[in-house]
Amino acid sequence: MSDQSAPVLRIRKLKKSFDDLQVLDEVDLDVAKGEVVTVIGPSGSGKTTLLRCVNFLEPYQSGSIKIDGREVGYLDEANKRPRGERELARIRSDIGMVFQSFNLFPHLSAAENVMLGPIKVRGKPRAEARELAEHWLGRVGLSDKIDSLPAELSGGQQQRVGIARAVAMEPKIMLLDEITSALDPELVGEVLAVVKTLANEGMTMLVVTHEIAFARDAANRIVFMSDGKIAAEATPDEFLRLSDEIPRLEAFLARFRATHF
Amino acid sequence: MLEQVVYALPFLLDGFWITLIVSALTVSISLVVGVVLGCALIYGPQSLKLAIRLFSDTIRGIPILVLIFFVYYGFPAIGLDLDAFNAAVTALTLFKVAQVIEYVRGAVQSIPAGQTEAARAIGLTFTGRLRYVIFPQATRRFLPPWINGVADAVKGSALVSLLGVVDLMHAINQVIGRTYEAMPLYILGAVIYFAVNYSLSLLSRYYERRFSYIQA
Repeated sequence: MSDQSAPVLRIRKLKKSFDDLQVLDEVDLDVAKGEVVTVIGPSGSGKTTLLRCVNFLEPYQSGSIKIDGREVGYLDEANKRPRGERELARIRSDIGMVFQSFNLFPHLSAAENVMLGPIKVRGKPRAEARELAEHWLGRVGLSDKIDSLPAELSGGQQQRVGIARAVAMEPKIMLLDEITSALDPELVGEVLAVVKTLANEGMTMLVVTHEIAFARDAANRIVFMSDGKIAAEATPDEFLRLSDEIPRLEAFLARFRATHF
Repeated sequence: MLEQVVYALPFLLDGFWITLIVSALTVSISLVVGVVLGCALIYGPQSLKLAIRLFSDTIRGIPILVLIFFVYYGFPAIGLDLDAFNAAVTALTLFKVAQVIEYVRGAVQSIPAGQTEAARAIGLTFTGRLRYVIFPQATRRFLPPWINGVADAVKGSALVSLLGVVDLMHAINQVIGRTYEAMPLYILGAVIYFAVNYSLSLLSRYYERRFSYIQA
């Protein structure tokens, strides 16, 4: 899947700590164009923080995060001076993010949630943005909910609006942060199906998830994080075999095996 | 009794007019200043935050009446010699500003952090985030307590009578001074205050109901 060109996302020696707690410790990770990388690991292993560093919702102390060769949060790698508001906003507009708690704008309809970025950030005319919203809401199966407010939608529907809002910006990469964790079990499938479709169409994605089965089915590569480090990295086929060599991965997967096999 | 009411009404209406002007000035000036300072309290530099916090806590810790006398009798000492009307409006406005600051802070900070993050993630700048995401939501939470606060301002404006400003309250007392009929006039005054404030409280309830389905 990975082609020869430079990766869309390139993370090098990323270090992040909250006070004394080292959350990310020398993380290196590349995501190539069209590649889907899933990140799994126990709670507190740093996977969500890693994702939040990528679009600079979290500042970090050292290392480098580049999207298409361009440093994201800081002016340059060595000098940790944060970018100005406008620059940062422009870079972020190329990074789509879908949140665990949806974070839809409750005062706006589904369509307006999707249209806000295209209109106010991309400067698209309203009519064009509306078409874009109709297109993407249709793609996630919500053609009949276009003018509904988030409060009128189920969790699964809200999350699909969240996905539509992110892809409508035509991002270079999508960050998915445990997007099914807040959903009732029967609603998880409809959301993951949408993500799989996007993956099949070549959307570049970095996905933090607890859904091991999904990680195995949809990913080109699975990354296992533990204690702020990448402890293992492999294709889905190799991955389950890897667990024999890495005790912590084995322990992590044991629970999953108990319930799924 | 009807006779007394007919006699008193023109005086009371003059006073009522002053009450409305005092309330309107207090409410409108405090709204503008309070919203600006409230935003500065949330997003401003540390030193400004500290100054605004100090101002708000101090003002809210003083009875309005003390504040009114302080501005009227105390400010001349620092070279600000305001007449009774201006001193009264200044004191009421200062008090109201402190309240509006707290309403703004409460409303904006009640918006979950996820809203700001989602707005950041689609590439909105600071001003865009406030304008399209935070303020529209915060306004809904700000309105009900603020409208209640407007009712408080109308009631509180009765205190200006103590500086000799002839508002509704003072007009009532003047008429009583001439007719020695206290009860009918106080009832009449109460009815006028009640009519204004009850309408405001209905308005506040209406907004509360209208926005209640928004659960962020």
